[in-house]
Order: sequence, then structure tokens, then C-alpha cells
Amino acid sequence: MRLSASWVTGLVAHRRSRLVGAAAGVAVAVALLSTIGSFLSGSTAAMTERAISHVPLDWQVEGKAGTSPSALLAAVRAFPSVKAALPVGYGSAAGYTASANGAASSAGPGVVLGIPENYRATYPDEFTQLIGARSGVLITQQLAANLAVTVGDRVAIQRTGLPDVSVQIDGVIDLPAADALFQTVGAPPGAKQPPPPDNVLLLPLARWTQVFGPLAAARPDLVRTQIHATTDHSALPRDPTSAYIRAGGLGRNLEVQLQGTGVVGNNLAHALAKARSDSLYARVVFLFLGLPGAILAGIVTAMVAAAGAERRRREQALLRTRGATTRTLVGLASAETALVALSGGIVGLAGAFGIGRLAFGTTGFGATTRDAVLWSGGAFVIGLLIAAAAIALPAWRDARLLTIAEARRSAARRRSPLWSRLGLDLLALAGSGLILYWTGSNGYKLVLAVEGSTQVSVDYYAFLAPILLWIGVGLLAWRLGDLMLRRGQGVLARLLRPISGGLAGTVASTMTRQRARLAAALTLVALTVAFAVSTAAFNSTYQQQAEVDARLSKGADVVVTESPGVRIGPAGGAAFARIPGVTSVEPLQHRFAYIGADLQDLYGVNPATIVRNARLQDSFFTGGTAKQLFATLAARQDAILVSREAVIDYQLKPGDPINLRLVDGRTKQTIPVRFTYAGVALKFPSAPSDSFFVANASYIAKTTGSDAVGTFLIQTGSTAPDQVAKRVAAEVGTGALVSDITSKRRKIAGSLTSVELAGLTRVELGFALLLVAAATGLLLWLGLAERRRTFAIAHALGARPRQLGSFIWSETAFVTAGGLVLGAGASAALSYMLVKVLTGVFDPPPTALAVPWLYLAEVAAVAVVTVAIAGFAALRSTRKPAVEVLRDL
Amino acid sequence: MTSLVHCERVEKTYGSGAAATIALRPTDCEIAPGARIAITGPSGSGKSTLLHLLAGLDDPTAGIVSWPAIGPRAALRPGPLAMVFQGPSLLPALSVIENVALPRQLAGVGAANALGEARDALARLSLSELAEKLPEEISGGQAQRVAVARVLASKPVLILADEPTSQLDSENASRTIDVLFQAADAAGAALVISTHDHAIAARFPTRWSVADGILDTTDLTS
Repeated sequence: MRLSASWVTGLVAHRRSRLVGAAAGVAVAVALLSTIGSFLSGSTAAMTERAISHVPLDWQVEGKAGTSPSALLAAVRAFPSVKAALPVGYGSAAGYTASANGAASSAGPGVVLGIPENYRATYPDEFTQLIGARSGVLITQQLAANLAVTVGDRVAIQRTGLPDVSVQIDGVIDLPAADALFQTVGAPPGAKQPPPPDNVLLLPLARWTQVFGPLAAARPDLVRTQIHATTDHSALPRDPTSAYIRAGGLGRNLEVQLQGTGVVGNNLAHALAKARSDSLYARVVFLFLGLPGAILAGIVTAMVAAAGAERRRREQALLRTRGATTRTLVGLASAETALVALSGGIVGLAGAFGIGRLAFGTTGFGATTRDAVLWSGGAFVIGLLIAAAAIALPAWRDARLLTIAEARRSAARRRSPLWSRLGLDLLALAGSGLILYWTGSNGYKLVLAVEGSTQVSVDYYAFLAPILLWIGVGLLAWRLGDLMLRRGQGVLARLLRPISGGLAGTVASTMTRQRARLAAALTLVALTVAFAVSTAAFNSTYQQQAEVDARLSKGADVVVTESPGVRIGPAGGAAFARIPGVTSVEPLQHRFAYIGADLQDLYGVNPATIVRNARLQDSFFTGGTAKQLFATLAARQDAILVSREAVIDYQLKPGDPINLRLVDGRTKQTIPVRFTYAGVALKFPSAPSDSFFVANASYIAKTTGSDAVGTFLIQTGSTAPDQVAKRVAAEVGTGALVSDITSKRRKIAGSLTSVELAGLTRVELGFALLLVAAATGLLLWLGLAERRRTFAIAHALGARPRQLGSFIWSETAFVTAGGLVLGAGASAALSYMLVKVLTGVFDPPPTALAVPWLYLAEVAAVAVVTVAIAGFAALRSTRKPAVEVLRDL
Repeated sequence: MTSLVHCERVEKTYGSGAAATIALRPTDCEIAPGARIAITGPSGSGKSTLLHLLAGLDDPTAGIVSWPAIGPRAALRPGPLAMVFQGPSLLPALSVIENVALPRQLAGVGAANALGEARDALARLSLSELAEKLPEEISGGQAQRVAVARVLASKPVLILADEPTSQLDSENASRTIDVLFQAADAAGAALVISTHDHAIAARFPTRWSVADGILDTTDLTS
């Protein structure tokens, strides 16, 4: 004990840089693990909260035919976890008519809702108030536009088999959660839901009962009542998977209690099902992105500790000649381990808390105290294990296996390691490629969480591909570095001549003899660079695809959608083109076409301009690039692109004729129009995800006798889309709806995966820079510090600072340049694999990787600057009088 | 004849205040070309400090050290002044021949010529068979003789050897002193060594002694 204490005191006094370096490595590993772990724990819990917060209405309970609404309401209200329940009437309107400003208008079938007085107060997120009163007769924006009515106007509701009922509009609203509100309650999980109706009117429940009571008696199939309920969320577990199981179970429990008289539309469970899937992806992303960082931090620590291994071995040898036993030696190494682990662990945890507070405003990253303590404790223990593996274990191995004479020798002439002779690096790379191919054939489906099932599965086998790739690139980098130093001494000497001048050959010789250390340092630089860059590339690609997603949903920076019945030709876009900030205007015909009995969206485009102006991605199409497919459209007037679903449903082959039925602009009757199948469009801006057609606008105009444009896609360049949207709205007045991409971007950025990934990468990218700095600067400095004696001798022999510098800068250049070059190659491979294997995270899947140039520059700058600092520090230390250094050593 | 080294009231103190340790008290000395001097004294007496000052590796706390026949301190190494250290002083990452050639390369001699001179130096001291070995592959005695070969290759006018035999057995110690004399004779250089071994000191025509930091240049042989 006493010996250990004095040994540790001696280390603190004379081997401070070695201790500080190893402790810094442990600190980085502990901080990274603690930060990521706490963040994952906190964000997973936050996923449940965020998912719940986006649900405006937990349950929609619909009675079976013949069930009394009041009995159903009573049963729902009596259910233990229900906090509030209100009845809502759904009545089918055959159509609407209106007469405003002397002009008559009409709209097609729709739904009239009957809502109780306190409904808006109970479910505020179901409504967006636009104009007029908040209660009374409320009309949705779309129906108001279709009928060209506003507050104060009268609308007649057409009832099947009954006289029309006229009501006066009190307010105009929007229904942001219309999809859920008009869902088919009781549809099997995952079943395709019909789109919500366009024409919706809301009446006070009493008024609705007056209007639809008679219809219910005559046509009960056209009238129904739902009970809308909110439940107590406090009992839900924080984990999304557990919360999903609990929420789903409660819904089914209610159905059991209703004894078959009602079914539950469980919006809460549906939202949690998505959160459950997201949380599983979060774990997968954590394993893919976080774990390599933690392991790298461990390796950096081991390397930092190994920088002093040679000297530690010599010290051990000296102690053994003085009679120290293996136990004594291990005891001393354990004392050093404890000191490094303790100091590194404390600094690491303090760092994690600091990062949490600075980056996220909370020390625990939103995790519970228990989780935060568990992660911190776990990270601390792992830090201890890293320190033990880096210091105590090698010491124990050396003490047991090496003779004193062997211990005094360095590794200069040891033969290649076994893995190198067996070619494990190449085997790992080949294995990685094979597994990636195999995973790809399964569509990279890593997470399987089917709604309605409590079981989830994660394909951990797919993890083997990146794991083997990491191992493969690491070992290959080592092999290449070693090969260059072992076999390429002549080439190396020539390359080093600009730095080392006449000493180039000697410098190359010293580097060859230290190839184990240099190849390891080069490998670590390559791996840390690969980690940093691949994480950044993954993040950039995700951001790129989020933007693509926003554009895909929205179509352009600003979209002008004409109200139904308004007829504007493509020339109408000229007015928009003159608006300041508008860089391009693309008219897009939007029609409906029957294929067999199916009604599908048909988009008429100008093939010469659509690719550029709608910024179409190649990934939206198969069978060619976007440019190629639209060139086909331009070459053949009746060519048409169809969805993949249509190709499968109708067994289409290129060149097949397709007969669609379109509405003739002159007669308003459907007419057959012949098209020729030319290719597949998987996605198209503003189109539904599954079924649509894209054809030449000019051909559609010619065959239907109408060149009416449904939508104008407007790009704004560098001007903010919302500003341009305001100017466009002022131009179009009430004749069209104007929307911009900003809100869509905000919505995507607020999605669960997005928030999760943004937080994780923010932590990761910071640590990646730290690891790059540690792998380059710290290791180099320690390596050079451990050879102060060499430099002191060289100084005593008459080496000038410039000559000493040639040794230092040559090593530095080799490790940094080699590491950056090999790291760049490894980054490309890892980024490609990450994006491939984690395809499920992207929507839509990317065509190409996004290269984070700014971050790449930062990585290179950090590497060069830290290496330069280390080099100058080492050079400075050689200025110390040689005798003083020699006496110290 | 112009002396190689001239010391005037040279003294050296490590640390300051209460922790100050006087290593060398005010000393005067002179080393003539071709001299053969052994400095004796017990461990910690100040021998190494004196040698480091004579070699220009350390700065005196007071007094002046000069090298009249050589020039300023910057001109001492690599070249006119060569030093043999007490412990291992070969660069571990260089082979024996590269170690021997290093001072010449540092002096600006081309690699091929420096290696040729190193080979000659090793041959003179019968160490040719060690040329391609690494320092870790040779014994302590061999390493010290290689260090002497390195001195020889640098063609000095003054060789300073700080306890060159302290870590060697008597046989190796004797052989090392043999090669030191050989090297000094071959280079026509003055040789000054510090030692606490009186048998070795007895082989030198001039012997100085150091005790408690006081140098006595009265030739013990007289």
C-alpha cells in the first residue's frame, strides 16, 4: 500500500504528461458514453411525451348499428381511465349549394359534423380558427373556397331524400387533424384509410340533431355518432414501446367492456406505434453512430496509455531486477489505473454535465434521475475498464510473460501480427460486403414494429456489416501504414526530403523502426476521421432528404393551388414571375383520371422545364434518371409515367397503351384518352404516395380541350419562401390557396426521428472533433514526449532545432496526411454503408450522399492544428538544455 | 599553445534559496590539445557537472567557460567536441552504423559519405560486425564502444567522457577505455574522462580530483 502510494506520488511528479493523457482519454470515453446514454434515455422518454402531445383526440368510439349513442357515451364515461368524453354526430351531405354576391355555386358530397358546446374547449387542437365566430355554424376553408362563401353567407345542405336545409355561416375554420377525425373506425391496423372529405361543415350538436335526425330515421347508413374521449396520460410508461402496449390494451379493454356494441379508433395507440418504431430506430442509430465513438474513445485511451508502455515496461524491468514480484508490479499498475480512471471519470462526468447544460440546457438530458445516475455510473465503470485494459492488463501480461531482457527491448523488429498474416482485414471487408448485399436483398428492414402487434423485432444481424467494415478498415489502415513504413523506406525518404533535407534517409529509418507506433497512430487518425466524417455525412444526408421530403410534399418553395372551378391557363404564371423574389414558375396541371374503376391523380407537365423547376430527384423514378424519363415524355406526346402500383396492378410493360378517362373541358363528360406507358414515377411533388400519373400537359390540353392549370410551383432562390408567399397571396387574392415550404420544413424538423437525430449528431460531431484532436495531437505529443531522451541525445550530439524538427515534422506529416487520406477512404465506405443500412430512417431514400464540406474542413483543420500544436510543443521541449533532460530521465 | 578549454571562476548551483545545491564551487582549469586527463571523485562530487560545463551542455551559475582553440559554443558540436555519456546514448530507432554516422550527417556530410566514415570508425574499433544491429540487440559494453566509435567518426579535437564505464563490468570497462585511447590517438584529440574507478584513472597521465564540488587540478601523478 505504502509502495503503491509512493509510486503514484512519483508518477504525479515525474510522469505527469502520461497520466494526464491517459486520464483525458478516459474522460472523453466517459463523457461520450454518459452524454449519449443519458440523451438516449431522455429522448426516448420524450418521444412518448412528444407523440402524445401531437394527438388532439385519444379515442374515437363508434357504436355498432342499433347502439344507443347515449348508452355508448355513458359506458365510455364510466371507463376508469377516461377523463372526458363527448358525442359527435357525423351526417353525410349529398352536396351543398350557395348563393353569394348574386352568383350561385355548388359543391359535391361531404360530411356535416355535430359538435357539442364544450367540444372546442376539450379538443382545442382539432381546429384552426381562420375568420369569424368560434362557435355556431362553422365551415371548413376548402368548402368555403369551393362555394365561394364567407361569414354571413348562407349555405344549403343537401340531404338524400329530404329537403335541403339552409344555414348561415358564423365562422371559417380548418381541421388540421382531419385524417384521424374522418378515419374508418375499426379498420384493421395498417389498413389504407380513405382520404378525408373535402366539403365539411360543422353545426352545433342540437342543430345537427334537428337536421340529421330525420335522415337517421330514413337512411341510418348516412348518419352515425362517435364518442370522442381523452384519457389519463399520467399512467402511461415513459418508454414508447411500453406506452404503446398500455394504450392499445386500454382501448381493447374498453371494447371488451362495450361487449361488441362499439369499436375504438385508438389515435393514442396509433401515435405511440409510430413513436415505438422511432424509438427502436433511435436505439439502432445510437448503436450505429454512438457505439463506434465510445469504442474509439476507449482505443484512444489505450493508445495514449500505450504511448508510455515502452517506458512502463523498462520501469517494470528495473523493478524486477530489484526483486519486485509479479504481484507487486500488477499492484503498482493497478494503482496507476485507479488514479487514471478516477481522475478521468470525474472529469468525464463533469464534462458530460457541462455539455448537457450548454447544449441542451439540462444536465440529465431529460432522463430521469435514476436513468441519469445509471448511465453516469455505467460510463464511469466503463472508464475504469478502459483504464484497466490500457494500463493494468498490459502490465500484468508483461510481468507474466516477458523475461527481463525481453522487457527491455522494443518492438522494432517484431514480425507482423497474426491477423495480418491471416489477412483478417481483407476477410472482414469481404464479409461486410456480403452481409450488406444480403441485408440489401431484404430491403434493409432493420426494425419491424407492426401496428396492432405487441411484438417488435430488430435485425441485429444487419449490424455485422458495419461492425466488420469498422474492423476491416481499421486493420487495413494499419496494414497499409505498416507496409509503407516497412517496404517503402526509399519512397518515404524521397517524400520526406522537403521536410528533412539531407537527414531524410535517417528520418525514414527511424520511422521504419517505429512503424508499430506510427502505423497504430495513423490507423487511429484514420478511424477517428472516418467516425467524424461518416457521422457528419449521415447527418447531412438526413438533412438533405428532409428537405427533399418537404419539397416532395409541398412541390416547391411556394405553391399556388387554384380553387376548384377557377380556370387559369399556363400563361397565368407570368404574373407570378414578375413578383420580386420569384426565380421560376412552373405550371402543373392537376386532373383526375379513371383507369378502370379507379380514380387517380393525373399531373400534366412541361417536360422541358419540370425537372429543373420542380427540382425533381432521380430517386423519384426508376428505369432512368429524372432527365432521361422526361426526355422520353418530350419525345413522345402521349407518353405517360405511372406509379409502381399501377404497373403491378395492370401488368404494364414499356410501350403498352393505357386508356384513361378524363373530363372533357368543353362537355364536362368523361372521354377516353389513349396514352403510352413510358416509365415509372415512384414519387412526384404534391402527388399521393401510391397512385398517380404524369403526362405531357400539352397533350392533355389538346385531348380535353382545356389547358387549365391546377397548381403553380414557384421557386424563390435565396429569398425566404414565406415572404414571397405573402407577395403571391396579395397577387392572387381569394382565387387560390397560397402555401409555402416553411411550415412543412418546421413539421419535418419537429418529427421524432429528426429531433432525435439532431440531438445525437450534435453530441457526436462535437465528440468526434475531440477524438480527432486526441488521436492526432495528444497521441503525437505523448509519443514525442516519451522520446525526449532521444531528442536530448540528438541535441547533445549537435542537432540543430531545425534538424530535430525534421524528425518531429516528418512523423507528424506521415501520421496526419496518411490518416486523413485513409480516413477519407474509410469515411466514404462507412457513410455509404450507414446510409444503406439505415435506409429506414430516410424519407425518401437518398439518391446520393450529401458531403458535409464545412465539417470536413473543420475535421482537417482540427487535425492539422492539434498536430501543429503538438509538434511545436515537442520542438519547444527540445530547447531545454540537453543535460537537464538527460538528468530528468 | 592555445588551450582547448579555459575555465575561470566557474561555479554551478542547482535550485535556489534553501533548496539550493552547490554542485561546483569556483573553479579554474585549462585543457591543452592532446591532453589525457582523468577526473576522479566519489559519486555526487560534481564530476558530471564539470564535464557538462566543459562540453557546453550546461550554463555555469557564475564564471566563464571558453574554448579558445575551437571558437564559440555553437561551433562545438557536431565536430570539434564529442561526448560519451554515462548511460545508454545510442538512438534506439537507428542501427549501430546509422548512430555512428549521425553526428557527421548533422554536420552536413552527405548520407553516403557519413555512412562510409562510420564504417571506417567501426572497423578501427573492431566493431564492424555490429554495424547493422539495433542498440537493443547489443550488450551494454558494446553500446558504449559504439558510442566511442561515434565520437571517433565525428573527428573531434576534444573528447569528454562522463563515467563511460560506470555501468560496465571490469573487462568491458577496460576494453572501453582501450578504444577511447585508440579513438583519441586516431583523431589526435584531447581526452578527458570522469571516473570513480582509480584503476582506470591510473591509466591517464594527468589526474584531477573533485570533492564536494571543489576541483583540485594538482596533478595527482606528480
